[in-house]
Amino acid sequence: MSDATPHSNARLHIGADPHSLPAEVTAHLEGCAECRRFRDEMLMLDGKVHAALELPLSEFRQRARPARRLALAASVVLALSVAGGFWLFRPATALAGEVVAHVEDEADSWNMHQPLPPAQVAEVLRKAAAEFDSPYPIVYGYPCPFRGHRVAHLVVQTPTGTMTVMLIRHEQVRRRTEFSRDGMQGVLLPAGEGSVALLTRDGTVPDAVAEEVVSRVHW
Amino acid sequence: MNAASRGTTGSATFTRLLEMLRPDLMRFAWWLARDRSVAEDVVQETLIRAWKSREELKDPAAARPWLFTIARREHARLFERKRLPTVDVEEVEALGDPALATDGDAGLIDLRRAIMKLPEEYRAPLVLQVLGGLSTAEIATELGLTQAAVLTRLFRARNRLRTLYGLEPVEDVE
Repeated sequence: MSDATPHSNARLHIGADPHSLPAEVTAHLEGCAECRRFRDEMLMLDGKVHAALELPLSEFRQRARPARRLALAASVVLALSVAGGFWLFRPATALAGEVVAHVEDEADSWNMHQPLPPAQVAEVLRKAAAEFDSPYPIVYGYPCPFRGHRVAHLVVQTPTGTMTVMLIRHEQVRRRTEFSRDGMQGVLLPAGEGSVALLTRDGTVPDAVAEEVVSRVHW
Repeated sequence: MNAASRGTTGSATFTRLLEMLRPDLMRFAWWLARDRSVAEDVVQETLIRAWKSREELKDPAAARPWLFTIARREHARLFERKRLPTVDVEEVEALGDPALATDGDAGLIDLRRAIMKLPEEYRAPLVLQVLGGLSTAEIATELGLTQAAVLTRLFRARNRLRTLYGLEPVEDVE
């Protein structure tokens, strides 16, 4: 820019950043009506540009597809859970509590009924670094943020009712742990180097279903 | 105050920062991706990565450019990994994307459409500057450009948008 004329240099700076001009450009403006007008135009334009970039997020929320909306909420829950200190303590009961909170936050997932295309399920499992040959139709699936990792959050239609299956690769539980909260019955199960959480609102999780699911999970 | 409680306070502060900046992060991601689903993925990945790297943020006042930098890299990573298709403005409009909703201020929608059509090389620095609050020097560092190149790109971006308001484009700069 050293060989530019003061006029073209002023134009460049005004066009690039009309709110923050170097001293030499401010000095040039004192004696150049054309550049002052150009600055005023660009300041007006910049206000419009700022308003245009401020997208209407409320519209986004209203129009988001259910699965996406739920996933957005999940990421917020992730952050809030972290702030709550859950992050620091990880016994199975705490893990169960977080699983319940996560599922409650995505309660609409239990209202899905159409089986997902295999490719979509495969993508969810890939993101969660899990393999699951489901014996039941999968009607919801999302690779949700959970304790700093992606987990496969699935909903399957079992013969006994709708069931949430969370494939949690990065958390190990020592033994089977049953839990119950807010009308939900659940169980945490060891699965190789990770764990599986199963939840249902239709009674308890049948042992046969739990065994069948765990046997089909691989990392 | 012991170390554990100090850590908890830091986590809470950090979480509040994320919550406060999340709307603009979503907007920024959308302007990068021009696709709502991709933008949501970028935001989620950014939040996870930011949490893991929170010790790197020494000054909360720098959180916005720090997060935007992470988001831009996550978008690039996603773009590279998924080979995302080029976004077509008319297609975005046809899908009823809220960014181009037809029930809003017509002038703003025209401007959004024009910003969407800007080449990436002009749109990225403009969004970093106006939405992210980055200086031209910071944008230069972020994009691996000289400051002079950033000035030129910002000038050209705004110059292209002038016509929407009945203003003649001024002579280009070299």
